[in-house]
Amino acid sequence: MARAASRHWRDPGAWQLVVMLLLAVLTLFVLVYPAIYVLVGSFRPGGGLLSSTETLTFRNYFRIFEAGFGRFIFNSLVICMVATVVSTVLSIMAAYAFSRFQFRFKRTLFTAILFGQVFPWIVLINPLFVAFATLNLINSYVGMILTYTAFTVPFSVYMLVGYLVTVPKSLDEAAIIDGASRWQVIWFIICPVMLPGFVATATYAFLLCWTEYLFALAFLTQTELKTLPLGLYQYFGDDYVDWGAVMAASVVTTLPVFLLFLPIQGRISPGRIAGAVK
Amino acid sequence: MRDRLFITTMLVPSMVLLILFYGYPIFDNLRISFTDLSLLGMKKGGNWVGLENYRELFRSGEFGHILFNTFIWLTATSVVLRLLIGLAIALLLNTRALGKLRLAAVSRFALLIPWATPPIVAVVIWRFLLERNGFVNEALIGLGLISQPIAFLADIRTVWPSIVVIMLWNTVPLIALSLLSSLQTVPEEYYEAAELDGATDWQTFRFVTLPFLMPAILVLGLMSVFWSFNNFVYVWLATGAGPGTFTNVLATEVYLKAFVDFRLGYSSAIGMVMAVVMGAFGILYLRLVAQRQLEETL
Repeated sequence: MARAASRHWRDPGAWQLVVMLLLAVLTLFVLVYPAIYVLVGSFRPGGGLLSSTETLTFRNYFRIFEAGFGRFIFNSLVICMVATVVSTVLSIMAAYAFSRFQFRFKRTLFTAILFGQVFPWIVLINPLFVAFATLNLINSYVGMILTYTAFTVPFSVYMLVGYLVTVPKSLDEAAIIDGASRWQVIWFIICPVMLPGFVATATYAFLLCWTEYLFALAFLTQTELKTLPLGLYQYFGDDYVDWGAVMAASVVTTLPVFLLFLPIQGRISPGRIAGAVK
Repeated sequence: MRDRLFITTMLVPSMVLLILFYGYPIFDNLRISFTDLSLLGMKKGGNWVGLENYRELFRSGEFGHILFNTFIWLTATSVVLRLLIGLAIALLLNTRALGKLRLAAVSRFALLIPWATPPIVAVVIWRFLLERNGFVNEALIGLGLISQPIAFLADIRTVWPSIVVIMLWNTVPLIALSLLSSLQTVPEEYYEAAELDGATDWQTFRFVTLPFLMPAILVLGLMSVFWSFNNFVYVWLATGAGPGTFTNVLATEVYLKAFVDFRLGYSSAIGMVMAVVMGAFGILYLRLVAQRQLEETL
């Protein structure tokens, strides 16, 4: 971290230092305070808007779970976990081929993968809705799982190729000379070595699904099938917002994201993630 | 030969998925855009109407307003501010004075909080803060800046800046962290040389730092254009394209026309307009980002 403090600005004078400190504190405040405000609000009756009482309570949490919020969590878990597993397995397979072999159309296919990361998903809503309607995939786990798998594959392949090219090919070749099949190489050599990278990729794919709103909105209309993001926004009425419930639901939605994201954020460098965030 | 079979087996599942979920739909969207297909009459299908949807779209008075919202507010404003504020934060955190105070490390952690917050929750947070009797109004009244609370997301004078603030809070940290990591790769000798030559702070920034950061700024700016232009959730969840249709953008218009007005054909025509605009940016993406990623990874 010694390099972090560059000599960009010479040692500032006292008033410059004060200005910089003020700016830094202000930045910190704007970044962090909104999140804390909501976290605290989730423990206040009415979200703390009508701050007549200062007492903290779990009532908002009890209320949303009594009203069936658990169902949304269950739906999200099923859809996102299955989609993540399928997407990660397919992506590992494709990424292995991209990182180990030369073949015709390799560059074209990989370019297609890269374009998948910036694809305007909103444009796919209508044709997919029409196709899903004919195939009875509206209001179905299968439809959502397929969609989320396709939604995460481009990013996952790209991430995984990046990891896999760092594993020397000679490792594979040595094993193959010893009589191992390609599948055995992947399972017994690549997977253990690359496990942290695979886990980071899968985690990020899961988080993308966990917070996805647009497809869920278009393809899930039955309450008992809705996912967490839809459940969160059901508390916004036309002219009344149940802030207590919204705050609690927001915390329930975000907590797993923080817990999963913080450990992997170092692995998913900003440069890499730049291609994946929509 | 065995290798070829193996490669095919490995690639086919994901490629089939991509064709089914990206390739086929984009062509089907084009086909639907030439019909009057209705969400309510999907069984009987739509009638071929040729370019009628496009003609109606380009003649409608609303379309110009939607384009303005999408290009100027949703995209240009948010992208430019995101880069400027991200750069400012990165420079601030990179200064030696703040590094000594260990404030930089704390701030890096602070940046992770908005970054890790999902967009759906970021909108919730800010809708709460921007309420009539919410924190922002209380603070502004407390500071004596306003006397009456402002309905930020319902007033046409404040609604777009408010949406942009939500987007910035959520996305600036990624830009700031990326630029911070680029800043730390600037060789120290460059600064020493600049100092020896008696360069002012501004000159050092302009001729040493900025050229070094330019590639990263270009790429982040371009990616930012994609995230913003296609974005549905910020506008939809913050205002539902309102008040009225004041903050309607292309993405929300696609959704509204298809799922509220049930006009899939017309909605798909709007989708095609988006696809064409993004196609143009796609060429830039290929040149600036994809080609480099291709060289770096393969």
